[in-house]
Amino acid sequence: MDLVVTYGLNFAYSTATLGLIVLGLAVVFGLLGVMNMAHGEFVMLGAYSALMVQQAGLPFVLAIPLAVVVCGALGWLMEWSVIRHLYRRPFDTFLATWGIAILMRKGVEVTFGREYQSVDQSLPGTVSLLGIDYPAYRLVLMAVIVTMFAALFVWYQRSNTGARIKAMVQNPDLAAAVGINTARLSRATFVTGVAIAGLAGVLLAPLVRVEPYMGLDYLLSSFFILVVGGLGTLEGLVTGSTIIGGADVVISAIFDKTAGYLGVLAISILFLWLRPDGIFSRR
Amino acid sequence: MAFSRAAKFTLAALLIAFPWLSDSFTAYQLGLYLLYGMVAQGIALCWGRTGFLPLGQALFFGIGAYLSGTALKADLGWALLLPAFAVACLVPALLAGFIGALVFNRQTGSGPYFSLITLALSMLGFQLANSLSGITGGFNGMTAIPGLPGVDTYETLYFVIVGVLVVSTLVLAHVMRAPFGQLLIAIRENEERLQFFGFRTSMLKAAAFAISGGVAGLAGVLYAPHQGIVTPQAVGFVLSAELLIWTAVGGRFGLIGPVAGTVLIGFMAAGLRDSFRYWEVAVALVFILVVLKMPGGISGLFSAALSRFGGGREIRGAGIAPAMLAGKEHRDEPDLRFDTVGVSMGPVRILNGLSFSISRSGIHCIIGPNGAGKTSALNVLTGRLPLGDGEISWRGVSLGNTRPFIAAQNGIGRKFQVPSIFPELSVRQNIEIALWANRIGTVEMFSMRPYGWTTQMLGELETRFPFLQQGDKTAGSLSVGQRQMLDFSMTVLAEPDLVLLDEPCAGLSTDETRQMIEAIAAIAGETKATFIIIEHDMQVVERLSDHVLVMHQGALLANGTMSEIRANADVARVYSGGSK
Repeated sequence: MDLVVTYGLNFAYSTATLGLIVLGLAVVFGLLGVMNMAHGEFVMLGAYSALMVQQAGLPFVLAIPLAVVVCGALGWLMEWSVIRHLYRRPFDTFLATWGIAILMRKGVEVTFGREYQSVDQSLPGTVSLLGIDYPAYRLVLMAVIVTMFAALFVWYQRSNTGARIKAMVQNPDLAAAVGINTARLSRATFVTGVAIAGLAGVLLAPLVRVEPYMGLDYLLSSFFILVVGGLGTLEGLVTGSTIIGGADVVISAIFDKTAGYLGVLAISILFLWLRPDGIFSRR
Repeated sequence: MAFSRAAKFTLAALLIAFPWLSDSFTAYQLGLYLLYGMVAQGIALCWGRTGFLPLGQALFFGIGAYLSGTALKADLGWALLLPAFAVACLVPALLAGFIGALVFNRQTGSGPYFSLITLALSMLGFQLANSLSGITGGFNGMTAIPGLPGVDTYETLYFVIVGVLVVSTLVLAHVMRAPFGQLLIAIRENEERLQFFGFRTSMLKAAAFAISGGVAGLAGVLYAPHQGIVTPQAVGFVLSAELLIWTAVGGRFGLIGPVAGTVLIGFMAAGLRDSFRYWEVAVALVFILVVLKMPGGISGLFSAALSRFGGGREIRGAGIAPAMLAGKEHRDEPDLRFDTVGVSMGPVRILNGLSFSISRSGIHCIIGPNGAGKTSALNVLTGRLPLGDGEISWRGVSLGNTRPFIAAQNGIGRKFQVPSIFPELSVRQNIEIALWANRIGTVEMFSMRPYGWTTQMLGELETRFPFLQQGDKTAGSLSVGQRQMLDFSMTVLAEPDLVLLDEPCAGLSTDETRQMIEAIAAIAGETKATFIIIEHDMQVVERLSDHVLVMHQGALLANGTMSEIRANADVARVYSGGSK
């Protein structure tokens, strides 16, 4: 029984963190159609923000505004200098963001060094839950993620801005014609997406090793989730996270980490082959 | 080709003379960069030529290196080493082809999916190379790999590398020059149009990727004896990313650019990496700039100057008889059936129980108000829209949920309303591709003979549309009317049994419309093919056809001769805006 609860919580935890990581890319790729290859690097910058706050001896919570400001500003600069010229040229966007990803990795490597670093947990210790002891930070993290998703979902469904974004996604020209400032709206959407990625980096920083190349894994798992779940829907995002996270946890537990990775990759290729528009496609 | 023959010979001579011009250590270093350059050439074939981007090319390089290292350590001797090396090239080639076939099957264009899958594979390869220490030596790598038997690693191996590079460059150059290479450009330019000529583009792309994988494997084969050690870095993501940068900076559209970029950045990095802290940041910046502002890379800067050295187009042997399609007797009895066809897009029913059949060759016209489902009917017939319910068959073959290249292989030709051509190719090259449709075999794709193909119809079309004779003109620079005529010519040059024309006169002047109508009527008469034309202009309909199908709200409203249609009360009501 204890084992089941432990696995269940681990599974929920892995799904929730994956959902958090993919959310930023789902906004940028799913809504704007910009395959941001630097997505993982924004997660990485968020994690380094947490590291900087710790090294300065400040409370962990301050890492959140720092990451949002750093990632938001960089995202704004990236959108202004490169992305906005390329919205209708997806292949060039892809290449340019890949170049920016390399630049960010190398920049962080020069500044902070290549070695692995770690961020201390601000909530050490465990909480007793359903008969087992589970790390407190993980439980809080799950609660934060679920709240965040719910809030975002309600906001996107109810708010005027949500409606404007939907209009822009479906028909940018018509949206512009009825008076929506699509240039500003897409910039805001892009900045929001990368800031969410930075936030994810802060929240995950205490649980992972922090290093300049950490972003690649996050980029790939985000991408796998979007392949499986499809673009543009929240239920697809959650289902994708569940399938990818579940497959990874289960296969890794039975065999090893490499087998888990292989399994996830095989599932993604299978989806590209059989259901190229994701699990909810009508085709 | 940007480089003239003289320039190529000079380059090759310089490479051979390099150890005497410099010293043997520098030549040893250059050897490594040349091997990386070979991998970069493969990337250029995929990226610059075909338009899809492999992000994990080191995987194939590393597999070749590990296989070659294993063979060398087994101390086999040349008689067994050569087949082992062949295997070390074939394994990565087949792996690449297999991955390509899997991923490209449903993904057209240059979307990010393929690139990310290759990136993930490269990272998986890195993990496997680390964990399978029994085979690969794990983290420390496969060490103490002996050199090639009878070849001194620091003196003579360099010449082996130069020799292999020259041969592989010549082979790749031939692949690019042959029809296969021209089809790869066509994929980059307009993949969907190529599918409507009956080419299974996913397989062409997979083949290009397989070739690039094989070349990477070949470079890996020589890398193992050159370095004496193969570590997981050789399959990893970091090398893959660098290979991409070198390709981009050198120039991704040719074969010399990628090697030049690799060598240049390689030597610069060797000199600067330790003294200049921001070297790699600077390289990343250069990459972004090249990708955005200078797609041709360094070689793009020189190509204009170099092409003046008489590197012009080779004259091809003309007048070789075409491979004509089989007999045309079956054309007298076309058999197209739509049986209660329904198509939905989300909540909208586009086609709603459309039924008709055509059993007589000649010209048939479809008319109907906007949104009646005319184009959708052609789309579902050619696999561009999924069939909801009902059944479609053409000459006994069921075409429900078909795919464009299968429809084309079944003799269905299609011209879209908006002219769809290969804009960066010349008029002549556009026509060549149409002539190859359903005629060219796999072997012929790698021979120069298909460039000499011509047909009787081509001569006739060139008389009707004289601009077709300006073969060197870029198709993208033609006027809208000329593009319509080029697209129409390409469609009929493939000699389909069933020709679908979607508003062929859209955007044409009165004079051009007359020319087009005459051409359609004449060709329909000569070829005995069945034509289905969507047309709004009733004068055009009247002059072309005596059989008219009227569509309304996704179904057939009327079917008969022009005078019958004129007399039909339902048709009059729909067109005069009366009640439904």
